[in-house]
Amino acid sequence: MRANVWSGRNTVQVENVPDPKILNDRDAIVKISSTAICGSDLHLYDGYIPTMKRGDIIGHEFMGEIVETGKGVHNLKEGDRVVVPFPISCGDCWSCKHELYSACENSNPNSGIAEKMFGHSTCGIFGYSHITGGYAGGQAEYARVPYADIGPIKVEDDLSDEQVLFLSDIFPTGYFGADLCDIKGGEVIAVFGAGPVGLFAVASAVMLGAERVIAIDQYDYRLQMALNKAGATEVIDFSKDPDIVEQLKEMTGGRGPDAVIDAVGMEAVHGHGALHALDRMKQATRAESDRGHALRDAILACRPGGIVSVIGVYGGLLDKFPSGAFMNKGLQLRAGQAHVQAYLKPLYERIKNGDIDPSFVVTHRLGLDMAPEAFETFKHKQDECVKVVLKP
Amino acid sequence: MSSKGAITVNRPREEVQRLWGSSEYRPKYIAAVDAAVRFVDAPGDRGTEIHVDLKRSSLIRKLRRTAQALVGSEPRAKVMDDLRRFKQHVETGVIARSEATPEGERAERKLKQRPAQPVEQSEIEKAGV
Repeated sequence: MRANVWSGRNTVQVENVPDPKILNDRDAIVKISSTAICGSDLHLYDGYIPTMKRGDIIGHEFMGEIVETGKGVHNLKEGDRVVVPFPISCGDCWSCKHELYSACENSNPNSGIAEKMFGHSTCGIFGYSHITGGYAGGQAEYARVPYADIGPIKVEDDLSDEQVLFLSDIFPTGYFGADLCDIKGGEVIAVFGAGPVGLFAVASAVMLGAERVIAIDQYDYRLQMALNKAGATEVIDFSKDPDIVEQLKEMTGGRGPDAVIDAVGMEAVHGHGALHALDRMKQATRAESDRGHALRDAILACRPGGIVSVIGVYGGLLDKFPSGAFMNKGLQLRAGQAHVQAYLKPLYERIKNGDIDPSFVVTHRLGLDMAPEAFETFKHKQDECVKVVLKP
Repeated sequence: MSSKGAITVNRPREEVQRLWGSSEYRPKYIAAVDAAVRFVDAPGDRGTEIHVDLKRSSLIRKLRRTAQALVGSEPRAKVMDDLRRFKQHVETGVIARSEATPEGERAERKLKQRPAQPVEQSEIEKAGV
């Protein structure tokens, strides 16, 4: 089959590789109809995630048709149309039973690697380095889906691929970020990053009852999408004024937002001045793996007693964490890879009811063979790119 | 390097001990080195803790210096491989397999990963799937 493989920094190539095979009774094979590039794929592409190996198939946002099932899969049959969640979760361990699916204790066969880096392993993930198991990803014609009786959600309604594909990752991730903010109605929520995940965080905060949702980015076309399509009430364009913290204070009558969502992660760009220069230098020499501008500003901007919700991906260590601000303002810091399986049913219903049409983020549609060009377009935000869907 | 390994299995103690003793589930390496094993009720609803102590294995004491050369991996890493495999087998019915490591978690595999792409049929048979 054809698959998009990682071939070194800033290099992906579409190659012929073997077709996936059933390895376990609980596996299924999916023939992929649509697959997307994620912002976190750029951390792989840019060379910031260790343990990548030349030939790794990447991609963790995919859907398609079941073509084969293992003996232990009874809820799915050939021909079923499914969306596959990016966390690979067994459904049986204590974490899965408590709906902490991305904390699955059993699904990472390289847990020894993850333990050394993080203290514990977490779930396996499709196409996201050998730290998360070395599972072949979904930017391909076919994929093997482990624990298929737990993960995939069946699509039995008249919904297009683009309407449901993002249940695999970015819609539940944005929703999870907003969910962590404990919105009860009437809050001001700030969202750092107006990429696809940030846009879904904005839309989710609105759905959950926030009164004002402020989207923050440096690309006007993304901020316009936040206002016009995702439901943001205001935006901050930090290319015009880099002092985000001050702007947020002014916009909230001096209080600061009630909760702040970091949908940016380790490749934050908006730092200015000496701290930014320090971060870039340390990252270039690999002395620091993660750039902390978004997280630092989120902590400084959030009102005392508020919540900072982190869904942007971090991989290693970052310097100059504002521990004083965090502790003295009594903030809650909440984070995670989204527990997608816990959100699939309610978010599917939202789509079916017409509360939201997730396809609004799609700006580019290309054949799988165009993946290398697609990565460049997405990385450099050419042609007002927001989200790329690939068709195998 | 610690000589102890521990894991928690989400099942009651009687079941865990019974499966541990059965031929289908018994962890091979831990049995072979005759390490000391304890089963402890985990707090709340968390199941059973299994604690393995290599220090109290006479075989390991004898092999300590040559163990690494012989097996190529720190004995504790192999104990953890066994414990994870047992937990996965008991809790999920399958061993976690990825394209990078189709035999499941093995300490020896950590530096010799396959690329994360599908396995040829001949390799599948070798991996004992």
